[in-house]
Amino acid sequence: MYTRPREGVGYSGSALVEPEAKRGDVPESQASQPPILVAQDLSRSYGPRQAVRGLSFSLNAGRILGFLGPNGAGKTTSIRILTTILEPSTGSFAVAGIDHRRPEEIRRRIGVLPENLGFPRQMTGLEYLSFFGQLYGRGAGDARSLALALLEDVGLKERGRSLIGTYSHGMRQRLGIARALVNDPAVVFLDEPTLGLDPRGQQELLGLVRRIARDRNAGVIMCSHLLWEIEKICDDVVILSAGQVIVSGSVRDVIGRSQRGGIRVTVPPASLAEAQRVLEAAPEVTNVAPVPELPGCLRMDPANAGSAQDHALNNKVLEGLIRTGIPILGFGTEGGRLEEVFLQLTDKAIK
Amino acid sequence: MSAVQSSGARRVGPAAGASPIWWLVFKRELGELWLGGKALYLMLVYTVLMGLYAWSLATNTELNLLPLKEMVFEMVKAAIAVSLFICLIVGAESVSGERERLTLEGLLLTPASRGELLVGKFLAAASPWPVALAIAFPYWRAVSQGDAVFERAALWGAVVGSILAPAFAGLGMLISVLCNTNKASMVASLAFYLVFLLPTTLAGPPKIQRSAALWLKQYLLEWVNPMASSNRFLQRVLIDNWPAADVGILLTMPVVFLCLTVVLLVQHGAPALRLEAGVAERVRPYWAWVAGLWHSTAGFASRSPSRG
Repeated sequence: MYTRPREGVGYSGSALVEPEAKRGDVPESQASQPPILVAQDLSRSYGPRQAVRGLSFSLNAGRILGFLGPNGAGKTTSIRILTTILEPSTGSFAVAGIDHRRPEEIRRRIGVLPENLGFPRQMTGLEYLSFFGQLYGRGAGDARSLALALLEDVGLKERGRSLIGTYSHGMRQRLGIARALVNDPAVVFLDEPTLGLDPRGQQELLGLVRRIARDRNAGVIMCSHLLWEIEKICDDVVILSAGQVIVSGSVRDVIGRSQRGGIRVTVPPASLAEAQRVLEAAPEVTNVAPVPELPGCLRMDPANAGSAQDHALNNKVLEGLIRTGIPILGFGTEGGRLEEVFLQLTDKAIK
Repeated sequence: MSAVQSSGARRVGPAAGASPIWWLVFKRELGELWLGGKALYLMLVYTVLMGLYAWSLATNTELNLLPLKEMVFEMVKAAIAVSLFICLIVGAESVSGERERLTLEGLLLTPASRGELLVGKFLAAASPWPVALAIAFPYWRAVSQGDAVFERAALWGAVVGSILAPAFAGLGMLISVLCNTNKASMVASLAFYLVFLLPTTLAGPPKIQRSAALWLKQYLLEWVNPMASSNRFLQRVLIDNWPAADVGILLTMPVVFLCLTVVLLVQHGAPALRLEAGVAERVRPYWAWVAGLWHSTAGFASRSPSRG
């Protein structure tokens, strides 16, 4: 049974993101548990075309796994296989120990927010959630109470009795997440949950996702094209390209694989030549050159490869410019972001 | 603890007192169909058509010359034909419409069996018939002008419609399960409807032919068409005053048609109830077989000595 939500639990974005230092580490309690979802060598073909090849990974309870890949990489097909909408051509998977050959049992244990979920416009949010609660075997009264609690949790309490046809896109996404939770799932699949939402809506939804994993101890698989979002809330990541896993692991480990790049400094375009001269004279950097597409931007490599994250070196570069009185409009280092890892790996895979 | 928090021990099975899934789906479909306005709109059109037909029977000088029983028969026939069309298109929209509105995936992701989902939808698709029957009764009564034929019309019209309406709803659903778009489903359903309807309107009653073989052929063609045979049944009972037991054989095909539709829906419709109809995937093996047969036949023909 459930109880009423705690007082003061909200979704105001900033408080919802976990400290970065904690991400990527598997807590001892989770490490000792068997994975809640295990996929082994999953493949799916459409005629001669293989949409997914040899997909293997595992997910622990309470962790969020980001599913990444360019368009057509096989993310949605993978999600559809894991949610029993499609049968795998080869391979197997299990959710909470239930083999994929028992799809109805698996569906009792998963919650899904598909990429394009339609809603009956003539139903209210409350009726919609009550209906799905009943489909999962709850009595009418029980389903209604759960629906009310879920509506409150996703911030739709005030609009629960309005027709879904009057909901905004963000409200529908939140209703979709509430629908995915009616059966208290062990694994929650979210396909592009923040697609089309405004920045505040994105923050609120990501906070909700984090709470689902933390408070329900559910494994969450989240597909997204927004890499900052995956980097921000996911513990683990799987990157797909052309239907194959090209890298998987904790977000921290995957980011650690990126090639450390150069340094970029932005100065007023009028000072570009002078800044270039100063930097070329500095022994810490080499290959100083303007970035043609960015006016006033200079790119350079550290003289010792792999030291772009060296703060002392960066300070010396900046000191040289400051001494000559050149205004510094921007400074940044390349590498160390999931976006760059993604672009490097998918580019290699495509080539 | 909020609802977003887990209750600890996860519930996996249905609770005691939970409603059957087919009943839940049936209720939801009824709500969408009737409260959503789609069925109401169709019923409005049906009522107007019935009114126009009754008015033309009463006022048109040529039609007015029809004997009373024939007028009642025409009204019963028209009410059933229009009701069947309504049930057919409601069924034809039931699955492909959900595919188009992207609401099917939500249903398929629940532990509900495909069969239970179809049963709920099937019952809802047949729901326009009782309403259509209730609307038709006053028209039949008005046209019968107090004659006893009204009672027979009400009884046997209800029986025949109650056999055919679910059958047509099921046929529409079968087509809908196999189509990705509503447009394809509607066109295919309309084609099937015309196949059943046209022989009943274009061909007259079996007449004495020059040969017994020709008469038998015409009779058989009428007998295998459930709409035509039920019309013949109604004609015999309402106009010719034959006892229903004597012409009961004419209801064999409607009953067979209903059973066949339900069996096909459960046996083949339920497994085919998927996110994408994938007809091409299912047709491909047969197409490959036909193509292979064609190639081998063409190869054999080209090697034939008679071709030189």
